[in-house]
Amino acid sequence: MLIRAMTSHYRRHPLQLLALALMIVVATMLWTGVSVLTGQARESLAVSEESVAAREAVVRADGQPVTVEDFVTLRRAGVCVAPWLETALGDPARRVIGIDPLAMACFDVPPAGDSAVGVAGELTGDPFVDISEVTGGSGRAEQSGQLSLLISPDTEFLPEGYQRRSFQLGPATGELADSFLLNLDALSLLVLFITGLLVRSVYHLGLAQRRSSFALLERFGVTKSRLQRLLAMELTLLTLICVVPGVWLGQALANRLGQGFGLALDSLFDLSLYAGEDTPVPWQAGLVMLVLVLGVCLVDRLIPERTGYQSKPSEPAVLPWWVWALMVAIGVEMVIWAFSLVWVFVGTALVFTGIGGLMPGLLARSADAVARRQSPGAPLGRWRYRELAVMFRQLALPVVALQFAMATVLAVQALVTTFEDTFEQWLAQRLSAELYVEIPESASAEGGSRTLADLNGLGDWHHVRRGKVQLPDINAEGEPVTTDLMALSPITSLVTDWTLLESVEEPWTALSSGGVMVNEQLARRQGLSLGQRLTVGIGSASLTMPVVGVYADYGRPAAELLIDGAGLPDDFTPSFQSFSVNPGERSVKDIGQRLKDEWQVADLVIRDNASIQALASQVFQQTFLLTRAISVLTLVLASLSLLVMGWVFFSTRSWYFHLLGIWGLQPDAVRAQLRRLALLLTSGVTLVALPLGVWLTWVLVSRINPLAFGWSLPMAVYPGFWVELGVVMALIGLVIAWLIGRQLNGQVSLRPGASLAGGGER
Amino acid sequence: MSETVLAAAALSKGFRSGEDTVRVIDRLSFTLSAGQSMAVIGRSGSGKSTLLNLLCGLETADAGDITVADQNFEVKQGVASPAATCQWALLRKRTIGVVFQEANLMPAMTLLENVQLRASLAGHRAGGEMHWLEQLGVGAEAHRFPDQVSGGQRQRAALAMVFAMHPEITLADEPTGSLDRQTAEEVADRLFEVQRQTGCALVMATHDQALASRCDHCLDLGEGG
Repeated sequence: MLIRAMTSHYRRHPLQLLALALMIVVATMLWTGVSVLTGQARESLAVSEESVAAREAVVRADGQPVTVEDFVTLRRAGVCVAPWLETALGDPARRVIGIDPLAMACFDVPPAGDSAVGVAGELTGDPFVDISEVTGGSGRAEQSGQLSLLISPDTEFLPEGYQRRSFQLGPATGELADSFLLNLDALSLLVLFITGLLVRSVYHLGLAQRRSSFALLERFGVTKSRLQRLLAMELTLLTLICVVPGVWLGQALANRLGQGFGLALDSLFDLSLYAGEDTPVPWQAGLVMLVLVLGVCLVDRLIPERTGYQSKPSEPAVLPWWVWALMVAIGVEMVIWAFSLVWVFVGTALVFTGIGGLMPGLLARSADAVARRQSPGAPLGRWRYRELAVMFRQLALPVVALQFAMATVLAVQALVTTFEDTFEQWLAQRLSAELYVEIPESASAEGGSRTLADLNGLGDWHHVRRGKVQLPDINAEGEPVTTDLMALSPITSLVTDWTLLESVEEPWTALSSGGVMVNEQLARRQGLSLGQRLTVGIGSASLTMPVVGVYADYGRPAAELLIDGAGLPDDFTPSFQSFSVNPGERSVKDIGQRLKDEWQVADLVIRDNASIQALASQVFQQTFLLTRAISVLTLVLASLSLLVMGWVFFSTRSWYFHLLGIWGLQPDAVRAQLRRLALLLTSGVTLVALPLGVWLTWVLVSRINPLAFGWSLPMAVYPGFWVELGVVMALIGLVIAWLIGRQLNGQVSLRPGASLAGGGER
Repeated sequence: MSETVLAAAALSKGFRSGEDTVRVIDRLSFTLSAGQSMAVIGRSGSGKSTLLNLLCGLETADAGDITVADQNFEVKQGVASPAATCQWALLRKRTIGVVFQEANLMPAMTLLENVQLRASLAGHRAGGEMHWLEQLGVGAEAHRFPDQVSGGQRQRAALAMVFAMHPEITLADEPTGSLDRQTAEEVADRLFEVQRQTGCALVMATHDQALASRCDHCLDLGEGG
């Protein structure tokens, strides 16, 4: 009987129960989705890193391509070697890799990942197929596509006539992947924080409406502690029921979103790397949500002096305003001056906490101030702003949660859009040559340069030499600090169109005249600025050069300097050389043949930069899609919460709208007041979310990225998106007004609810 | 003879209760002139509040005529036309003042602001609101919010709101029902005093026989139903 009495509120207001259940389901779905995605992304990228890092191939010392006979020779010599045959199988867009599962058996780590191939197992993954499918049973693998022979990194012995060399599967995304994971982790925490706020606010609003029932039960002799136990049981049961579909939906959502990411990774690395298929049901996420919901909703019951259900739905700030303001100030300072990421995160958390504490009161005071400024001749306007102030106070938690969610969405959108623009531009600069030709180790780069220089009708090209140079600094171990060098010659339009972060006038001329350009990472680490002279040890020479430009270098953390290759000392030994070429009027085949003839090799690595660029862009787009999806889902959750809370809250104030009708306002005019009030509420939240969103954008691009990865992004804002977000918020306001308007459509009564005795809440 | 400001003729109203219809007001007729007061008494559920709702257009009668300040509302089949709904709203705005047992005030506004709001809706310029609060004895509390004053003071402020709109008719639904005896008497004294001063008609639903006896007329709805 007592339980029937306890639950009578929800029997009379089933929508409130439904709203709370919906909040828990959606929050669990979102948290599960984020957890699964983060886990999958982390595992996928770990597999990719392991796979790429572990790969080495064996090549012939005479520069000739390897054949099936070489495979046989190596196997007979006891070398763990596996064939890797890459072909297009009729469709240039669909690259297929043929491997031999039996040969893979001697590798400790299956190169295609567990999901693609088991040891001597069946090949089920795409792009991996059994090698016999690629050769069509002819047995001449080298005629069916590009054959490579992979060896285990543990291989110590190679027969004479063979060399080992790294086997690059695709462009490295290491640091960008880390950046992505960092973003996902930060988003996960923010999602958890916001969902906690939202669930608590919805639960406590319902609880507040049940206060009189509880008081009555207490008068009937039911003890407070028994009531609290029953409430805890009720919430536990509801959460358990809601967490199950939430977890299931979250997993479905993550799998759907993650597939795109997985496909992109597969294309980029030519491996089945996506770790999201057949993942077990993530019950841990459900458990976290269960603990979170019970924790945030029942925390007040655990504090003795605040025990009781008498607490108001949204308690006023427990600290004075200046403490919150101090938190914001300290947080901002911390973010500006922090030397490590941890302190940036701590500072950001302080700013968010401080703003969360300040904002409802500030908004309410602002609304009160506007109300005071209304002329006595416009008392309806004054009433509207006074009601708005009440709402900001009573809906503090959902208002703050929505503000945070909107700020996050704004920041993520700005970050992603800026990153996309910047990255596309940077990638296009770096891959401006259509072709990339790797210079074999045995070949003469000078001979190749001469060949290219003599080719009539060839477009711009340059010779790239990479290696290590010494900086004057000494590291902690007492060894000289080295950094990467990139030397280009000749300097052509392939580089002169680069957008530099900073430069002197005519930077490329200055470079050819003995200047040096540094990437952003090196400039930050060494504190270099334009005109400063940098001394580096290149080969046996020590060169002192003025810094003439700073260029962006996204995607990898290494410091690097760029010089004109003509100025390299003779004894500099590059670790890697290539040509970047625009074919112009020449065909790719013709250029390749001329170089093969010059270098007397049968095979060349010629890469199509356009496809590399397309693949890299695809990966980034997928990662951004994930980040955007998570932030938009958070916004949906926060909006849903405001909708529910707004609806419930407006319902508690509906008597005052009736009162306006009793005082002679036409029903349309009452509904118009309702609309204006709801729009003021949502637009007020939007307005305060904007500066926080812009600040968060700045933190992401100008503080977190440089500290984590050494480079920053240009700070940009997108007012067009602000307008879009404003429209969404306005729609939410209109939906709230419509729902309450429907309630007001019925006949009004001259009997206000008993809960309004005592003057009503303000 | 004073002018009739409120009249009802053969007024009927019933509510469905399951399969049955419970008739709470059955062919009720009366007239009330300016400056007169009428108490509506009867047991709980006898239809006192329903009658007040009908008299200000918040509910529609099943049958009968209501005349308010020369405007006649003839009801057929219990449905009010949109035009009638607008007319009733206009009457409530300017002609009919309504006071309830409680919750007459907007909680986020001070007593003075509440009076200003009500007067403004009735089309009166700002200026005389303080006078009404003083008349009702709550001038000192003008800048307090409803939850900062006593129940009696809130009811006085509610009466000030009604009188500030200069109504021709005041409908009061148990205006002292939630107050202690002494406060109730003080509020009632003020109500009758200001009603006489302004010359408006007063219809008051009450359980209190003493209060009812102070009215010019008494309409007993008996058991109702």
